Amino acid sequence: MIPVDVAIHRVRRDITLAVVLKAAFFLAIVGSLWIGPPYMKALALTVVGVAWVWLSVSSARNSQIAAGSPSLIASGQFDEAERQIDKAMRTFSLFRAAKLQSLHQLAMLRHAQRRWQESAALCRALLGQRLGVRSLSRASRLILAESLLEMNDLRGAYEAIIGLYQDRLPLREAMMLLAVQVDYEARIGAWGRIMNAAPTKVQLAEMMPAIHAARVEAMLALAALKLGRADWADWLRARVELLVDVPALCAQRPMLCELWGKQPDANAGD
Amino acid sequence: MGFWGATVLACLGLQLHLMDETAVPQFLDVPALLESSQPRARGGWLVYVLVAFGFLFLTAFMSQPTTQAREAVGILAGIAVFVLMGVMLVFSKIAVRGLRAERDTIEGIGELLQLRCWPQAALTLQQVLSQPLRTAYLRAQALVYLSVVLARYHRFEDAIAVHNQILDEDLLDDGALASLLLSRAMAMLREDHLFDADRAISELRRTEGAAGSGALALVEIYRDVKTGHPDDALKTFEQKLPAMREQLGHRVGDAYGLAARAFDLLNRPTEAADAWRRATLMGPVGEMLRRYPELEKLVGRYQNAAAPAELA
Repeated sequence: MIPVDVAIHRVRRDITLAVVLKAAFFLAIVGSLWIGPPYMKALALTVVGVAWVWLSVSSARNSQIAAGSPSLIASGQFDEAERQIDKAMRTFSLFRAAKLQSLHQLAMLRHAQRRWQESAALCRALLGQRLGVRSLSRASRLILAESLLEMNDLRGAYEAIIGLYQDRLPLREAMMLLAVQVDYEARIGAWGRIMNAAPTKVQLAEMMPAIHAARVEAMLALAALKLGRADWADWLRARVELLVDVPALCAQRPMLCELWGKQPDANAGD
Repeated sequence: MGFWGATVLACLGLQLHLMDETAVPQFLDVPALLESSQPRARGGWLVYVLVAFGFLFLTAFMSQPTTQAREAVGILAGIAVFVLMGVMLVFSKIAVRGLRAERDTIEGIGELLQLRCWPQAALTLQQVLSQPLRTAYLRAQALVYLSVVLARYHRFEDAIAVHNQILDEDLLDDGALASLLLSRAMAMLREDHLFDADRAISELRRTEGAAGSGALALVEIYRDVKTGHPDDALKTFEQKLPAMREQLGHRVGDAYGLAARAFDLLNRPTEAADAWRRATLMGPVGEMLRRYPELEKLVGRYQNAAAPAELA
């Protein structure tokens, strides 16, 4: 398993090395135009050009090494995903975006493995970099927010969530944000905010995988119960019962036990 | 949230205006779209430019009588190499931007389908597939979406033609392939190609990613309900309910709807009523009837689940 601090250090080192290499190429171009015997100038320029093209092509090829890791993570093949990401991290690339992408894929993997602290550390390291790609920044923020919520760091989660409102999100990310936001609002007891635009939230929840849909609808049901909306609470609770096993859901989020008239288990969710 | 909330409402509004959605959008001409969307080779001119440049440089270099002239040609050639690299960089940036725009458009179609904005998705697909796409992967994705839209408009023969084209061209990876085979089997059942559907289901039982899945169970239940074997349908339903619940999310309501029909065929009204209530709890009745017209017979005979007033 790749240690998180090693991964972050390796990516930072490679990015710095790439910058130095680019500067060296620029100096080599200038130097080959002005220094050396006349017949060597064209040859030197050609050598520099070929080296540049070769490095660019091999960097582009290397950036594809871990391209399959998201689908491996989604299908639960964590060992194979880890192997691909490790290989991508060990390979040098001139492209900054490719190195940051492999760090992001490692954050996704740790998130899927429920290693929240490591996932949050990786996302923070990523967001600390200048991210040219907005989608990478948004995805990292979402993972960070969810990891921090799992670690019960509400302030950190709020700061991660708030940064996402500056962008128009794709549907998949909007659904992820909804799940994280409802979870956060339930923890701070903002029941009125949870029930705001409830029909739209239900429609978005219907597109989520079963476990996430059930969690969002259960939080909505709890908010409805707190606000005295029995019609909504009963309807949503019945849907949740058809989607997942209630004890398993309550083990993940003990506050939801209230929906079924039970006391939260003190050890649940640990 | 705000944007997607507005989009959901806009879709609902448009669909109210298009109540007669079963009207077939004739503009989706499948053979023409399959032909026009074929990716075309791009950037072939670059090789010719590079070869021509090399040839010009060599002849210019060799034909110079003095060392100074050769030096000048060498420097000019060096500068030209870097100008050419700059041009390549600009062209590759333009190409990448075009690729991203095309990918975003196709992802946008996927989102429209998820939001059930069928007319908008159909219009965008018509535009996208009317010209060559940049990669075979994007084309495959667009064709999968086209088959979904065609099935939605009950053009199952066309949907099956698109499925077969994708399979013939071997455009998908294993995971997407299983999903496509499932859609094709469902389209065959809807079109009453029962023999073909049965063969497709047998093939799916041997396909990695589909064998034992909740989606395959749903197809099997539908086949058994359609062919009048409610006992078999209920057996599959009971065996596969946990997998369907986990993998299908809210679409598990479809399984409850088909189970209700199976109970009804066996003259077990209490169980049928309970299954129908669960089915209507998980999704709109209209959507379910559109997917399974056989369930029309249950409407009015069994009570729908009560939804909050805002959703009714």
